[in-house]
Amino acid sequence: MQDGITEQELRERLGLIERMIAEGRRTTESWGWTFVLWGIAFYAAVAWSEWGQSAWAWPVTMLIAAIVTVAVAFSKRDHHAQTTLARAVGSIWLALGISMFLLFLPLGLSGRLVDLHVFVAVISGILGMANGASGLILRWNVQFGCAVVWWVSGVAACFGSEKQSMIVFLVAVFLCQILFGIYVMIANVQGRKRHGLTHA
Amino acid sequence: MPDLPELNPVVHGRLRLALLSLLSGVEEAEFTWLRAKTQATDGNLGAQLLKLEEAGYVALKKNFVLRKPQTVYRITESGRRALAEYVRALKQLLGPAVDR
Repeated sequence: MQDGITEQELRERLGLIERMIAEGRRTTESWGWTFVLWGIAFYAAVAWSEWGQSAWAWPVTMLIAAIVTVAVAFSKRDHHAQTTLARAVGSIWLALGISMFLLFLPLGLSGRLVDLHVFVAVISGILGMANGASGLILRWNVQFGCAVVWWVSGVAACFGSEKQSMIVFLVAVFLCQILFGIYVMIANVQGRKRHGLTHA
Repeated sequence: MPDLPELNPVVHGRLRLALLSLLSGVEEAEFTWLRAKTQATDGNLGAQLLKLEEAGYVALKKNFVLRKPQTVYRITESGRRALAEYVRALKQLLGPAVDR
């Protein structure tokens, strides 16, 4: 070996490079909580609009969820590294948030959001698009599976009764927001435990 | 017997190698993120980043975010090349043992 450098040292350097590259690419923040938060927000909005019969149920709940998301995300941004992958996925979800806000807020306030079938089909289609794109970028079958569930929910909403459409939507919210969010959070904690602290 | 390659001493330092490897996987990274990932002290980290900067392997940008100073580092093309050459040299030195 070179100038007293042992084979073990060279191997250790190679291992360090691999570990650090993987560490750099690993997302630093877990976004599982946002899926759970928005899942709960969807349930709250449905419950409020069903039992409270208020046109404000959806706009107010979505606005609160958006404010909480931005506030928590901002407070978590102390250590930061930008990756192309994270920027691509982040952009999809940011664009989704803006689209939903600009579409559903005026629809809700103008009172034109009256057809539940259309509402569930559109919201499912948009969420299917975002989950599908994100799943394809990250090569993450579980998230792509969520996209499939949303797409099925969107198609089913076009054919069933109002009650059936709502049940399909609530099931999709449970599977793709709450259950998926909890899965992401657990996977993130397990990943952190597996990698441990990185001493360099 | 072919000549064994020289290992670039700037890249070979453990912390500098870790920093270059970390930066190769991201577009840019804050000082605090690099500190968290390497568990290095501020002084040591700053000194090693300065060496990499002097070698032209990393570039830094100073920003103010909410009136707080923020230093952001990114790997340069020359740094990326140096890291790739270092990996190639390592593999050559290890020879067939690299897959063991």
